[in-house]
Amino acid sequence: MQKVQLFITCLTEQFYPGVLKKMVGILEKLDVEPVFPENQTCCGQPFFNSGFQSEARKMASAWLKTFGRSDLPVVSPSGSCVDMVHHHYPELFSAGSAEHTLAVDLAGRTFELTDFLVNQLKVVDVGASYPHKVTYHASCHQLRGLGLKSEPKQLLRAVRGLELVDLPEEDVCCGFGGVFSVVYPEVSRSMMENKVKNIQRSGAEAVVACDAGCLMNIGGGLNKAGSPIKALHIIDILAEKGGDR
Amino acid sequence: MKTSASNPVIENVRRSLGRQPGQATPARPPILPARQPGDQEAELDLLLKEINAVAGVAQRMDPTRLEAALADLVQSQNVRRACLWQTPFIQELQLTALLQRLGVEIIPAQAEKHVLATCDLGVTEVDFALPQTGTLALLSAPEKPRTVSLVPRVHLAVLRPQALGADLHQVFAEASRQPYLIFITGPSRTSDIELTLTIGVHGPQGLYVWAFA
Amino acid sequence: MSETPSYIEFAEYSEHVPTNIPAAVQQATARFLGNRQLRIGEMPQWEELRQAASDIRLHTLLNLDSYLEKLEQQVTQAGGTVHWAEDAEAARQIVLGLARQHNVKTAVKVKSMATEEINLNHAFEQAGIEAIETDLGEFIIQLAGMGPSHIIVPAVHMKKEEIAQLFQEKLGVDAPPDPIKLTAIARTALREKFLNAEMGISGANFLVAETGTLVIVTNEGNGRMCTTLPDLHVAVVGIDKVVPDWESLTVLLKLLARSATGQKITTYTSFMTGPRRQEGESGPKEFHLVMLDNGRSKILQDPVGRDVLKCIRCGCCLNVCPVYKNVGGYAYGWFISGPIGAIFSPQVLGTEAARELPFASSLCGACVDVCPVKIPITQILLHLRRRVVEGDSIAPASAAPMVRSGAKLGALAFGVPWLYKLGTQLLPVLMAPLAKAGWIKALPAPANRWTRVRPFPAFAGGFRQWWHRRKK
Repeated sequence: MQKVQLFITCLTEQFYPGVLKKMVGILEKLDVEPVFPENQTCCGQPFFNSGFQSEARKMASAWLKTFGRSDLPVVSPSGSCVDMVHHHYPELFSAGSAEHTLAVDLAGRTFELTDFLVNQLKVVDVGASYPHKVTYHASCHQLRGLGLKSEPKQLLRAVRGLELVDLPEEDVCCGFGGVFSVVYPEVSRSMMENKVKNIQRSGAEAVVACDAGCLMNIGGGLNKAGSPIKALHIIDILAEKGGDR
Repeated sequence: MKTSASNPVIENVRRSLGRQPGQATPARPPILPARQPGDQEAELDLLLKEINAVAGVAQRMDPTRLEAALADLVQSQNVRRACLWQTPFIQELQLTALLQRLGVEIIPAQAEKHVLATCDLGVTEVDFALPQTGTLALLSAPEKPRTVSLVPRVHLAVLRPQALGADLHQVFAEASRQPYLIFITGPSRTSDIELTLTIGVHGPQGLYVWAFA
Repeated sequence: MSETPSYIEFAEYSEHVPTNIPAAVQQATARFLGNRQLRIGEMPQWEELRQAASDIRLHTLLNLDSYLEKLEQQVTQAGGTVHWAEDAEAARQIVLGLARQHNVKTAVKVKSMATEEINLNHAFEQAGIEAIETDLGEFIIQLAGMGPSHIIVPAVHMKKEEIAQLFQEKLGVDAPPDPIKLTAIARTALREKFLNAEMGISGANFLVAETGTLVIVTNEGNGRMCTTLPDLHVAVVGIDKVVPDWESLTVLLKLLARSATGQKITTYTSFMTGPRRQEGESGPKEFHLVMLDNGRSKILQDPVGRDVLKCIRCGCCLNVCPVYKNVGGYAYGWFISGPIGAIFSPQVLGTEAARELPFASSLCGACVDVCPVKIPITQILLHLRRRVVEGDSIAPASAAPMVRSGAKLGALAFGVPWLYKLGTQLLPVLMAPLAKAGWIKALPAPANRWTRVRPFPAFAGGFRQWWHRRKK
């Protein structure tokens, strides 16, 4: 049986623990045994993106130590965190150093969940059923950082009964941007409201994303707008009726 | 002329790059290969189509229809004064005489700019033409002033097939040592006011291109 | 507005964006992007062109000294004069000096970002010499006393009624609110200036080192007017605008208009080498090229930041940027806005003056995807954020020490496992009173910066406990 290390990410842990539990269920259903390195905290992305590269480096070191103990691949429900590991971790350490080597090694075996399912396990149908109209928001790091353009939609299209409708401006940033949302709240507001309008225009009952940050922002925005449209993580859908143990 | 030894800007650049005076420069990275042209008729068709797509008025022409076409142009564009390049081809077409016969006053192309500005029509030949973008390329010389294709309200350009070039590489190979080259693609335009397209700003308001065999 | 700012207040501006700006800007950008998509569809070699352009631009920057020398040699040989301006003041003095020397009463200007960068118009105004913008959009905002809201269509935020009124007031003519008629009014007004001006001032889109050739692109023909009719032509150009040879232009010219407005090519592209060669030819008698440094040579030291100098000023990054499209050009505080402005201004003005700009981005990366010369904009933004809060070899930190301490504390809370786990367990309990149906509507400052826009999700946690229970 294949084993993977779970990289649960700070935001998903704080705000969407249900997503993590469902992710465990989906992996086990696919004969993948998750292990959970206890010492993980945060990958350091919020610090890195704010310019605090020294702090981010310390957190990256800790992350590498935690996940580097094993040579199992790492799987995570967050595109932006995986992008941090892939693209920025190697940059934080001098070429030739042991940490740099470890960073490159881990970058090569850390996968965002949809990438893991579709490209590693070669699975598109996880046996889920969700007979609703759903639209997909392409998170920036998922799309541009990791280049995962089709994988989430491939998974959604295989869900029984699910009708995938187009989201106008699907690849335009929702306005979260991590610290950006609190550094320039009014600009973040304009971007979020634009995203919410587009979601409402799509006619969907739910909007799906692969990143907790986007979901916090979009979900909050939909709530504020009094909209009944749900903001779900793709794992929520993949775990529906038969996708979960 | 300041030598670079006394040139603080170049010195600063050198220092920033960690380079020495006279240090060799590697070859410039490669560019994309040239385009292979289609057959001449197809190229001409493409050129005319592209010019028309940018609000130019381009058509094939032959000397037998020339006088009527000129009469039409003079009338529809209200041409009272014109200036012309005097190239062998333009002389061969007898454009000056034809325009005079139509009652158009001919101003010498080398006239002072204020006088040239009273011209309604400027007539030039085309030195090179780029079919893919509908671009006319004109050189400059005392008998072919740049002002003729710029100042008058209407620009008429006559084209011979030998002007057709395949692409920028070809045109640049021939024109890069010239002191002046202008690419003209359609009449002048702007969308600066509420994104509303307006043809005819500072350059000519009308561009006519007549392609001869 | 193009005065060199001492501090750029993006935050302040972003809190009070005038309502007409986003709509106008979004209309323009949507048009340009739509057309650009059509053009890209016609160009199967688009990605190869971008890579070639990026390589050529970087190559030029890394060997800039020798290309600048070649350029100077060629321009001089062609009968032009090259001047070197280390900073904006030096450039202004050179251009003013030439104007005075030639008894210039009126200068006509082609749109040139370099001249906005050095605030040339203001210097001319002070010297009592008329310097008229001739690009229609620039002409309009000059009359209105405003700065540009977009690099390519600077007056896009103004309605035709406003422009009509402006023309009525400032030009003393009957001006109907009709774009075609307003353009005709501008054409007539400016024609007189073109014909009588003693001096034409321009920038350049490219400078070809191989032959000393200036390349200028316009749609209106004002570029040709300003550089053909007056006897004196002065061009102010950043040293980063050099390209090695004409062959390089075969790549760059295919990308520029398509990236900027979605046209295949602009109406006019002028290639000018020196003043006119013979009597009886048209064109300027005298040509002066002012090469502007103004911080660019220093930027070359920075292996990450210097990619900003590859820019060919197409404006495409503005067109895709959701931040720019919601605030417009003024928010960026200087002549250059959008993503390129956010990485240019802090490097030229310094991170002290422009420290709000590197953060004026959600790092979405849309700009990186479209930049025709592949500037790694998000990479440079992160690099500059670090310069602001931590400092680096180029500049010390400009963020308040308190910010640094805050980050250290945050790193402890997030980074030390037992502290983090404790937080994860405590927060749901502590925050429970504030949460209703999974959302917290209001939080105290500074967290209210989130909740003033939308509710915050309730803290949940509990995964680790769940995981442990399963193991049993």
